[in-house]
Amino acid sequence: MSTQEDKERLELLQGTLDLLILRTLIFGPQHGQGIARAIQQTSEEELLVEHGALYPALQRLEDRGWISAKWGTSSNNRKARFYSLTAAGRRQLGKETTKWKRLTAAIGRILESEGS
Amino acid sequence: MFRRKRKASDFNDEIESHLRLETERLREQGLSEDDARAAAHRAFGNVTQAQERFYEAGRWLFWDHLWQDLRFALRMLRKSPGFTAVAVLTLALGIGANTAIFSLINGLMLRTLPVRDPGQLVELLERGPGDPEPGFNEFSWDAYRIMRDGNHVFSDLFIGSTMNFFPVRADKLQPQTVFGGSVGGTFFQGLGVRAAAGRLIGPEDVHMGDHAPVAVVSWSFWKSRFNLDPGIVGKKIVVGNDAPLTIIGVTQRGFYGLSEHAKQDIWWPRSLGPSQGRGFPLLARLERGVSIEQARAEMTVLFQTAMNAPDAGLFAKGTKLRIEPAGDGVSTPLTQMLSTPLTVLMATVGLLLLLACANLAGLLLARGASRQHEMAVRACLGAGRGRLIRQTLTESVLLSMTGGALGIFLAYFGTRGLVRIFASGRQIAGAPVHFESLSNPDGHVLLFTGAIAITTALLFGAAPAIRACRPIPAQPPQSAARIGESKSHRLFGKGLIASQVALSLVLVSSAGLFVGYLSHLRNLNLGFERNNLLLVTLDFAHSGYNAAQFPRLSQELVMRLDAIPGVSSATFSSLSPMEGPGAGASAFAEGHPEKQTQASINYIAPDYFETYGTPLLAGRDFSASDQVGSPVAIISEAAARDCFGNENPIGKHLTLSHINNSTKDEITYEIVGVVGNAKYNDIQQPAPPTIYPDLLQQGFSGSQLAIRTKIDPDGVASAVRQTEAAVLTTVPIVRSMTMNEQIDSSIVPERLIAMLSAGFGALGALLAAIGLYGLLAYTVARRTHEIGVRMALGATRSDVMRIALYDALWMVCAGLALGAPLAFWGKRIAASLIPGLSVASPLPIVVAAAIMIAVGLIAAYPPARRAMKVNPIAALRHE
Repeated sequence: MSTQEDKERLELLQGTLDLLILRTLIFGPQHGQGIARAIQQTSEEELLVEHGALYPALQRLEDRGWISAKWGTSSNNRKARFYSLTAAGRRQLGKETTKWKRLTAAIGRILESEGS
Repeated sequence: MFRRKRKASDFNDEIESHLRLETERLREQGLSEDDARAAAHRAFGNVTQAQERFYEAGRWLFWDHLWQDLRFALRMLRKSPGFTAVAVLTLALGIGANTAIFSLINGLMLRTLPVRDPGQLVELLERGPGDPEPGFNEFSWDAYRIMRDGNHVFSDLFIGSTMNFFPVRADKLQPQTVFGGSVGGTFFQGLGVRAAAGRLIGPEDVHMGDHAPVAVVSWSFWKSRFNLDPGIVGKKIVVGNDAPLTIIGVTQRGFYGLSEHAKQDIWWPRSLGPSQGRGFPLLARLERGVSIEQARAEMTVLFQTAMNAPDAGLFAKGTKLRIEPAGDGVSTPLTQMLSTPLTVLMATVGLLLLLACANLAGLLLARGASRQHEMAVRACLGAGRGRLIRQTLTESVLLSMTGGALGIFLAYFGTRGLVRIFASGRQIAGAPVHFESLSNPDGHVLLFTGAIAITTALLFGAAPAIRACRPIPAQPPQSAARIGESKSHRLFGKGLIASQVALSLVLVSSAGLFVGYLSHLRNLNLGFERNNLLLVTLDFAHSGYNAAQFPRLSQELVMRLDAIPGVSSATFSSLSPMEGPGAGASAFAEGHPEKQTQASINYIAPDYFETYGTPLLAGRDFSASDQVGSPVAIISEAAARDCFGNENPIGKHLTLSHINNSTKDEITYEIVGVVGNAKYNDIQQPAPPTIYPDLLQQGFSGSQLAIRTKIDPDGVASAVRQTEAAVLTTVPIVRSMTMNEQIDSSIVPERLIAMLSAGFGALGALLAAIGLYGLLAYTVARRTHEIGVRMALGATRSDVMRIALYDALWMVCAGLALGAPLAFWGKRIAASLIPGLSVASPLPIVVAAAIMIAVGLIAAYPPARRAMKVNPIAALRHE
């Protein structure tokens, strides 16, 4: 699936896709294609999200009760399945964000100390 | 989790919608329709994979595959009903036999008692040389005292409960036979049993040489007989023929005494002190942290001290103490009678099941070969090795479970049949044993059956499963059906047959051993004529007759019985041979006061020896005139030799010394006759020295009526009944059976082992024959082409047949070579379990080997014949 263009992008770390999805949904309900687009745009095209991987992830989050889904109509009048954040999902996002920040800060400190 | 909330089609719709949205977005950016669609697909990645991941995440894949495998296995089994029927039946018989024997063991020996800390409870047993396993729980007062006061391993050592059954009567109640027993003062306290009403027997109810006239009944007795009447305390109850007892309480609900199959319903206190008839049954609780081995070690030493105590008269030299766990119930006549046969039978059915496994493995392998094509196709379509193994195992487990379910059903009826045989045992005849509880499968039994069904499936399913996991040859699937078998595979198939023959040899030869032993027992010279002898037991207890009336009545009855057509003579005695426990006394011969002979006693009326067919060797029989004279007795040859050596005993005197409770009775008899030796109460023991005093002279009522017949004894039974009722109007007949039936009731364990092992042996041989037949038929079918070539090259039909038969003979002989050491080993184990079993003769093994060769040739004949009938032209043209 990888084109030249894709190869220059960063592969997602294991488990971060869930966090990104939750984060994206904080701005309101969105369908799958919109989520994929949002992640790519917000990351300034740095992140590679294989669209195919997104849907099983969405299903998983839905099964856990962090997001809910409903069929609706997109802005250009197409049928699409819209996802929105649940209260549990909001709490989960808070937890995951804190964890991620601690992780990156810790890794950053190590890398910097080695660099100096 | 089993049911998905969202349908796959919905998920697919979503993906479709995504691709449409993405395409539109890309088109807006200026791509052509086709490029946009391609780019959207590219960005999405593998659609099928996404769908699969959705599918797998939505359910438990394990169950999903299991369900698939099960459905497939069912289809496969339905497709070959013949194979399925044979396999399920084989398994049902194998698993059913195991379930049946286990459920008896479980019912008899593995039911935990409803008492406090059953794991700590032990029973004490003493076993003298020659006593049956596991021994008796009857200790002298002194032994009890010494062991109780001297030990450091028990937290409590208390007098348990005797185990007997008695007719019990009470106001407004039908007399009923129930299990009951006399107990020590700390029995209930020691077991940790509480009262549901009133109070239980305590130390205050037992005294030296005396006890309070009180009784305690079980909750279930209270419910069934008194309808939970709260006024039960204070009611009177009569046990046996003793004085009435006052009921003081009811035990807690669920308590039934010390054995699940001999549930006790009534208990009364036991007098303390020496010489109280039979000994004291002892129970103990292990001190915390003390193992049963430690207890055995210490108590063995203490028991030696106890044996030297003045009151130790009950112990013979060489008596050993045994301590056995009692948390699952104490040993009873039933467990004593059945523990050895059940052990032997459990081993037998285990071997049978192993044989069934080998048989099925062979069948499945042959089937697997014909399914090679199918497996190859599956592998080509992407089935993983694990998945193929799982699928073959699922088929095995399904077969095994079906067989197991059917087996439980068979076992239920099997145990009911076996229980009927136990019930005829003289040890328990008439006892109110709850046999139903033995054949009803409980949780333990179902668990056991499930476990062996799965183990069996893994055993016989392993070979086909391993085959499935072998690398699939790279040939195109359509030729897979013609791939020759590998040498190792052929050898494995033959090895399975050989092992079946080996196991059958063990089963058939041990069956031969046991059947031979039984027929030896049935043909023993007993010292009396066992055929055409009818035995009738009378109960004089409530008849109202006194002993003084007995001589006249008995003579009248004997006279009228003699007149019945078909009866040649009739007589009375206090005991009949093989009836059960006998009577004994110490005999002192005139002129040899220092020499004491232990003799068995039977009080007899005139014509006893004529009726029983025991030869009178010297002297005379009793006559009516003896009733008024001085005491006379007839003695057996063995007694004459033991008491008088080579002297002529006729006219000499002999003193019998009985110990009755604390008094010692001595009677001196003049010996008037000597008779041949006759077995007394055990046909496996040598005839003991026996003394026959005159029943009528001693003023006893003989309860045993024996009638010698010229025709089948059953033919006169009803006439005998009518005559007895006419003469002894108030004396009921308790039991009426032939001598052969009475002998049979004394050898129930031997009969059980012989009968069942013969059945299992036959079944084993049949299974081996089926296995051999199956393998040969399959081989011949595969080798049709080869046979055709051989015949075309000049082999005659008999050559072809010989090849096939040699093949079979080889497998059988390999099996015999394999099985012979096993059979010898099995024989030694059997001999260690069953004393008296003669194992010196190699005959059973030789006969079993001959049987297996014959069975092998018979099984091999049809396939060999088919090989012989191969038409070479047709076989070659087929190519």
